Amino acid sequence: MMHLLAQANPPAPMHAVTLGHYLFVSAAMFAIGLIGFVSRRNLIIMFLCTELMFQAAGIALIAFSRFHLNHTGETFVIFVLTVAAAEAAMALALVVLLFRRRESLSGEEWASMKG
Amino acid sequence: MALLALILVPLLFAGYVALRPEREAKSIALWGTLGALGISAWTLFDFDWGQSGVFQYAESFSWVDAIGLRLSVGADSVSLMLIALTAFLGPVCVLCSRTAITHRQRTFYAWLLVLQAAMTGVFAARDLVLFYVCFEFTLIPMWVLINLYGSTNRKKAATKFFLYTFTGSLIALAGLVYVVWFKWSVSQQWTFDLYELQRTAARMSSAEQAWVLLALLAGFAVKVPLFPVHTWLPLAHTEAPTAGSVILAGVLLKLGTYGIFRFALPFCPLAIGEYAPLIAGLSIVGIVYAGLVCWVQTDVKKLVAYSSVAHLGFCVLGMVALNDTGITGSILYMINHGLSTGALFVLIGMIYERYHTRSMDELGGLAARMPVWSSFMVFFTMASVGLPGLNGFVSEFLCLLGAFQASHEWAGTPGGTPGRLGFVYAAVAGTGMIVAAIYLLYMVGRVVFGPLVEPHGHGNGSGHGHGNGAAHGNGDAAALPRDLNWREIGTLLPLAIACVGLGVYPSPVIQGLRGPVATTVAVTKEGAAYKPPARADAKPPEVSR
Amino acid sequence: MILGAASIAEKIPFLWPEIAAFLATCVVMVVGLSPNLGTRRLCAPIAGLGLVAAGVLAAFTTPEGTGPLPFLMPFAKVVLCGVGLVLLLLASGVVDRDEEAVIAAGKATFNPLRTNRAEFYAFFLFSLTGLMLCASADDLIWLFLALELTSLPTYIMVTMSRTGRDGARSCEAGVKYFFLGALGAAMFLYGFALLYGGTGTTSLRGIERAFVSQSGSGGINSIAMVGMLLSIVGVGFKIAAVPMHLYTPDVYEGSASPVAAFLAFVPKTAGFLAIILLVSTMGWTFARDGSAAGGHSLPQLVLLTLWVMAALTMTVGNVLALLQKSVRRILAYSSIAHSGYMLVGVIAGPGDGTSITRNGIAAVLFYLLCYGLMNVGAFAVLACLDRKAGDDSPELETVDDLRGLCSSHPVLGWTMVVCALGLMGFPPLLGFFAKVPLFTSAIAAGEIPLVIVLGLNSAIAAFYYLQLVAAPMLEAPDTTVRTEPTGHAARPMAALISAASVVGVAVASGPLMEAGAKAGGKPVAKKPAEQPKRPPSGPSGH
Repeated sequence: MMHLLAQANPPAPMHAVTLGHYLFVSAAMFAIGLIGFVSRRNLIIMFLCTELMFQAAGIALIAFSRFHLNHTGETFVIFVLTVAAAEAAMALALVVLLFRRRESLSGEEWASMKG
Repeated sequence: MALLALILVPLLFAGYVALRPEREAKSIALWGTLGALGISAWTLFDFDWGQSGVFQYAESFSWVDAIGLRLSVGADSVSLMLIALTAFLGPVCVLCSRTAITHRQRTFYAWLLVLQAAMTGVFAARDLVLFYVCFEFTLIPMWVLINLYGSTNRKKAATKFFLYTFTGSLIALAGLVYVVWFKWSVSQQWTFDLYELQRTAARMSSAEQAWVLLALLAGFAVKVPLFPVHTWLPLAHTEAPTAGSVILAGVLLKLGTYGIFRFALPFCPLAIGEYAPLIAGLSIVGIVYAGLVCWVQTDVKKLVAYSSVAHLGFCVLGMVALNDTGITGSILYMINHGLSTGALFVLIGMIYERYHTRSMDELGGLAARMPVWSSFMVFFTMASVGLPGLNGFVSEFLCLLGAFQASHEWAGTPGGTPGRLGFVYAAVAGTGMIVAAIYLLYMVGRVVFGPLVEPHGHGNGSGHGHGNGAAHGNGDAAALPRDLNWREIGTLLPLAIACVGLGVYPSPVIQGLRGPVATTVAVTKEGAAYKPPARADAKPPEVSR
Repeated sequence: MILGAASIAEKIPFLWPEIAAFLATCVVMVVGLSPNLGTRRLCAPIAGLGLVAAGVLAAFTTPEGTGPLPFLMPFAKVVLCGVGLVLLLLASGVVDRDEEAVIAAGKATFNPLRTNRAEFYAFFLFSLTGLMLCASADDLIWLFLALELTSLPTYIMVTMSRTGRDGARSCEAGVKYFFLGALGAAMFLYGFALLYGGTGTTSLRGIERAFVSQSGSGGINSIAMVGMLLSIVGVGFKIAAVPMHLYTPDVYEGSASPVAAFLAFVPKTAGFLAIILLVSTMGWTFARDGSAAGGHSLPQLVLLTLWVMAALTMTVGNVLALLQKSVRRILAYSSIAHSGYMLVGVIAGPGDGTSITRNGIAAVLFYLLCYGLMNVGAFAVLACLDRKAGDDSPELETVDDLRGLCSSHPVLGWTMVVCALGLMGFPPLLGFFAKVPLFTSAIAAGEIPLVIVLGLNSAIAAFYYLQLVAAPMLEAPDTTVRTEPTGHAARPMAALISAASVVGVAVASGPLMEAGAKAGGKPVAKKPAEQPKRPPSGPSGH
C-alpha cells in the first residue's frame, strides 16, 4: 500500500491533498457507517449508515479514478449512485410499511422470530 | 447376468409387493426370496471353482462417465458365498415374520426385499462407488424396519444405528476417494474399479496408508462392530424385529468384515501389517469385554447381540493375521456366524411372540413346555459356542490358529507365517471362547432346563410389560400353538442342516475360498514388500501435491 | 476498460437470453394491469415463456465469453432458466390468490394501482435476469449491477409474499433481509472499489493480468488484497456464509415457502458465480500451458479466509439446524451448511480443469443445480399444504406437521422423503452425485482436513434430515393438525418435477456433469507431447 500511496499524483507539493487523504476519509466513512449500523436500532439511521458506506465506496472510486488517470471509477460511481437511489426508495417504502404496522421505527419491534 | 438377476429379482418383487394388496405381501415376498435363493444356488453350481479367485459373472455398464463411475459387478468365491448366505437368510426372514408382523405388512416386506437387493449389491460390486451406494443403501431399509417394527425404544435405536454407520461410512468414502485419486496421480487414470485400484493403492507411502486405513476402518469397524464403536449394536439388535435382527447379525455386520477383506487389506498392506497388533488388540478386548457383558445380561436377545460383538472380534482377529489360515477362518466365520446367530435370533423371536418377554428372569425350564424349540435352542447354542462337529468350531479354530501362526517367531517353521501377532493374542482370545461357552450355556441352562418359569398371564393371550412395542399383536400368542409349528420348524431346519454340514465337512468351502484368500494374501505381502523406488518416479512430475 | 459503445456492442450477442427475459418482464408488467381477469392470468405463462426463450437462446446462441471463465455462460444460464421454471410453477399464486379471492367475493373491485400480481412476476424475472447477468459478468461494474439486480427484487418479494395476519412476519423478514443485504452490498462495493484501486481496472481479465504482474514483482498489492477479502465477505451475504448468515433462518421462516425456495437458489447462485469470478482473478494458473495442474495458487490469505468461512459455515449451519423444530428453519440452516460445502469446491479450485472429478468449480456449478432442485422440492411440499387448525399460520411449520404425509398425500410425502434424502447426500440420489465431485476435487487439491470436516458435517446433517424423512414416512398422521392441499394446481407439479429430477437426474447425471466441467474450465492450451494418456472411461474434457 505504501508504494502506491507514495507515488500518488507525481508533481504534488507537500501540502496537496493526496490519494491517501481521500482514502482515509472514505475508510473513516465506511467504518462510521459500519459501527453505526451495528450499534443503532432506528431503522432510518441504520439505513443512512449503509448509505454512508455506499458513499464511502464512491469517494474511494473517484479518488482511485483520478489516481489511475482513467474514467472507470467515475463511471462506476454513476452506477453506484443509481443503485443507491433505488435502495433508498425501497428502504423508505419498507420503513413506511413497517411504521404503519407497528407505529414505531425501532428495529427491536421486529424480532418475533428467533432461534 | 446371474449377479444382476440376484439384485434385480428382490427389487422387482419389492415393487410388486408395494403394488399388491396387504394380505398378499408375505407370499409374494416369499416367492421373491425363494427365487433369489434359486438363482444363488444355481450360481454355486455353475461357478468355476477352479478359478475361485477370479471375478466371475462379470458385467460392466457405463453409468456416470463424467466421474468414471461404472456399474460393474462380479463375484469371486468370497462374494459368491456371502451372496449365497444373503439369499439363504432371505426366506428365513420372511418366514419368521409371518405372524410377528401384523401391521403395514407391505412396507415391511418391500423394504426387506430392497434390503436384500442392496446387500447382494455390496457383495457383487466391483466398482467402489457402486459398492458404496449399496453399502449406504442398506441403512434406509434397516432403519425403517427398526423404526416401524421394533419394540419400545425403537426410534432411538434406529436413529443411533443410522447415524453411527452413516458417519463412519462418509469418512470411509473419503478414504476410498483418496485411493482413487492416488491411482490417478500415479497413472493418470481415473477409475473406481476395484481391481485396477488394488494394483496401485499399495504403492502409497506408509503414512498415507495409515490414514487411509484409519478412514476405512471408521466405516467398516463401526459396521463390524469393533470394540470402541460397538455401542449401537446391542441397542439396534434388541429393538429390531426378528427378521431385522437376523439380517443385521447374519449379513449386515459382515459388510464391515467384507469391506476390511476387500479394501483395507489390499489397499493398505503396509499399514495393516503395522497396525495389526492394535486391531487385533481391539478385537480381543471386544471378545473379552462382550463376553463379560453377556455374563450379566438377563435379556436373552441382548445377550445374543453382545455375543455377536465377541464373535465378530474373532472374525477380525483372523482377518488381521494376514495369513491363509486366518483369513479363511475369518470368512468361514462370517458365514457360520450368520447361520447360527441368525437362527438364535429366530428362536428368541419365537419366544417373544409367545410370551412377549425376553427376560431370563421370567423364562425358565421351557424344555418341558416346548421340547422342539428347546432342542433347536440347544443345538444352535452349541453351534455358536463352537462345539466340535458343528460349524462354529472350524472357523473359530482357524481364526485362532491363524493368529497363533502369524508371528515372526514361527516364520521359519512349517505353517508359520510372518506377522506381528502370535501366541499371546491367540491365548487371550481363546479365553474369550471359554467365556462364551460359560454365558451361552448358562443362558441355555436357565431358559431351557431347570424349573419351569413362565411370565404371568401369558395364557390369556395378552402379554405384559412390553410397553407399546409395535411388533406384537395382542391375541396372537393365544392363537399360536405352544410348541413350534411346521412353518417354524421349516424355517429352522435348513439352518440346522447347514450348520451340521459346514461343521462336519467344511473342506469344500475352505477349498473354494483358497483362490481369493491366496490372492489377497499375495497382494498384501507384495504391497508390504513394495519399496517405492523414488517418489518422483512413482508420480509424473506435473502433479504437485 | 471503459464500458464504451464498442464494447457494449460486442457484448450484445451473449445478452440475448437476458434481453428475452427482460422483454417478458415488460409484457408481464403491462398485462398484469388489465382489468380482464383472463388476461391477468396470462402473467405467469408469459413469464414462463420468457424463461423458456431465454434458456433456448442461452443454449444455442451464446458465444465464448470474455470473462475469466469463458464457458460458464451457457451452462449457468440454461440451468438458471430450468430451475427458474420450476420456481415459477411453485410461485404461482403467492400474491395474487388472496387478491383475486377478494375481488371475486365482490368486496373490492380491481384496482390497477393496488394490484401486486404483475409486480411479483416482474420482480421474479428481474431477479433471474440479474442472475444471468452475473454469469456473463466480465467487469466489476457489471458484476455489481448484476448482483444488485438479483437482490433488490428479492427484498420486495419477501415483503409482499404474505398478506393478512402473516404479513407481519413477512415484513419482519423483509426488513431483516433488506438491511443486512444493504450492509453486504456496501461491503462488497467497497471491496470492488479497493480492487479497482489496487489494479487500476475493473475488467476482470485486466485485474487478473494486474495480479499476475504484481505477483511477479513483490506480491499482490495490499489494497487489492483487502478489497478481495471485503468482497468475498460481502458476497458471502448472498450465499448465506458465516459471518453474513444471520438473516437466513428468520427470512426463510418469515417469507412464503415459494419465495423462500427462490431465496435459497437465486441469490445463492449469484453469490457463488460472483465469488468464483472474483477469486478466479487471483490465480488458478491452471492448464494455461497445459502442464500446471493440481492444487491452487490462490494467495494464502484468500485461501485462509475461504477455508475458515467454509468450515464455519458448514458447522454453524448444521449444528444450529439440529436445534430447530420448524421445517423452514431447518431448511434455512441447512442452506447455510450447503453453502459451506460448496465453498469447499471453490477452495479446491479448478485443478487441471478437465474433469469434474478434479475441478472444484465444476463441482460447485453442478452442486448448485442439484441443490436448487432438491431444495425446491422440499419447499414445494410446504407450499402445497395448508394447515386447517385455526392456528396463527396456515402454512406448515414444524416437523410434526409433516407426520404421516406419505399416507395422507403420497405424492407430497414421498417428495419430501426423496428430497430430504437427496439433501442428506444419500446414495444413489442427486445429492450424493453432487457431493462426490466435491469430495474428489478437494482431495485432488490436497485439502484432506476440509474433506474430513465436510464428511463429518454431512453426518451431522443426516440427523436432522432423518427427521424430515421419518415424519412423513414412518409416523402416524397427526389428527390435531389437518393438512389440506392448497388450491394451486401448479405447485404440486413443481414438487413432482423436483422429486423426479432428484431421482432421474441422478441416474443420468453424466452429461450434466460434463457440461459443468466444461463450464468450470478454461480453454486448455496446446497439450505438450508427453501429456499422459487420458482414461478410457473418463471424460475427454474439451
